[in-house]
Amino acid sequence: MGRLEKMKEIYDKIVIPEELNVRVQQEIMKSRRQQAEKNGASQRNKFRKIIHSMAVAAGVCILFVAALNMSPVFAEEAAKFPIVGGLVRILTFRSYETEKEDIGVSVEIPTIEMITEDTGITVDEMNQEILNLCRQYADNAVLRAEKYRTAFLETGGTLKEWGEHNIKITVGYEIKEQNNDYISFVIRGTENWTSAYNELKYYNLDLNTGKIVTLKDMLGGDYIERVNENIREQISERQKAGEIFFTPEEGGFTGISQDTKFYINRNNRPVIVFEKYEIAPGSSGEIEFEIGGD
Amino acid sequence: MNQIVYERLIQYILENQDRFYRIAYSYMRHQEDALDVVQSAVCKALEAHENIKNTDAIKTWFYKILINECLTVLKKRNRVVLTPDIANQGELYYEKGYEQGDDIEKELDKLEMDVQGIIKLRFFEEMSLKEISNVTGFNINTVKTKLYRGLKLLKENIQEEALWED
Repeated sequence: MGRLEKMKEIYDKIVIPEELNVRVQQEIMKSRRQQAEKNGASQRNKFRKIIHSMAVAAGVCILFVAALNMSPVFAEEAAKFPIVGGLVRILTFRSYETEKEDIGVSVEIPTIEMITEDTGITVDEMNQEILNLCRQYADNAVLRAEKYRTAFLETGGTLKEWGEHNIKITVGYEIKEQNNDYISFVIRGTENWTSAYNELKYYNLDLNTGKIVTLKDMLGGDYIERVNENIREQISERQKAGEIFFTPEEGGFTGISQDTKFYINRNNRPVIVFEKYEIAPGSSGEIEFEIGGD
Repeated sequence: MNQIVYERLIQYILENQDRFYRIAYSYMRHQEDALDVVQSAVCKALEAHENIKNTDAIKTWFYKILINECLTVLKKRNRVVLTPDIANQGELYYEKGYEQGDDIEKELDKLEMDVQGIIKLRFFEEMSLKEISNVTGFNINTVKTKLYRGLKLLKENIQEEALWED
């Protein structure tokens, strides 16, 4: 073993003081407070102001209007988002931020819009599903946070301390790839106080057929075996390079299923995604394997 | 979208704080100092999150801030830290039975700060040369040269291929 490798072992064993997390959390809380103030100050922004007044008028904090028609205000906001392959575009259908009992909710719901009319592709159903998914996640996350709040207050926490928790629920999306053949995007729901309920949902749309793409569509009938073999190879290579994976006994990789999450990358290849903790320690985050090619 | 970058940054920080501490400790060699440095790097990063151009760059962007912070504090104190803080009981930097490690640690300390940094990022944080180039601001060839020089000084027997592959 080389001396540097030995030193790396020592390095990896540097003891992490418990105080570290406390200090880091402190900074994050401080920053969140500042952000909240800043956002408050920029309410002059027309878009936010309208959302805000709507929220006040409704007297409720959660605002989900199911109509798929875009109001001019939303259209204006949406114009910032990219056009996909000239055929379709992804844009923010609804975006809002609310806060109630110090539980902050920030939601950006995407929608797929057909630009060309006569493609025969219908996306209404998918848009409705996306809307439901986002709504459900945000609603459940608020319930969870409220439960946490009740428990926190019942066990002696003060309202002020609760406020400092700065609970934040975020639902948003990220476009993974957009080209003439596919749109691939992911919707993420996260709660900053727990990672147990984080949710990821990938959407891959084949623009030539207008259908959701499955791994089977991309890789053929016997894809499960081939993908499993490919992933096992990639895991063993990455292990050689020092990455840590759980063994199958520890709950690591045992094989994919037809529900395995994936997105499509710029090479038009599927990339299989495992969530944090799914097959490796949480420190590795999400783990991805590109399938196909060499 | 900005909000997403912000949340992603927070998530990145929470997930990688141990790594930040280790690299900070390797510079500061003192628990309190390392904690301070990580804390102020987190603070600066969150304040400047609007500068993140794309979320893929969060890692190298954050390391840049963190390492700058370490070097600034060290420079300000104008002291060369050569030995671990022995007074800090229970926080021994290395375990017993690693005397050989001790040698190389001292040798590593003798190298120029930027060379040390590159070696740490390459071998301890396992960054690619491209990532190191982003963190340090040196172009890739400079990174290679400095890495090569550092390893030569350490008389490390690292196989060439292992060194340059990315």
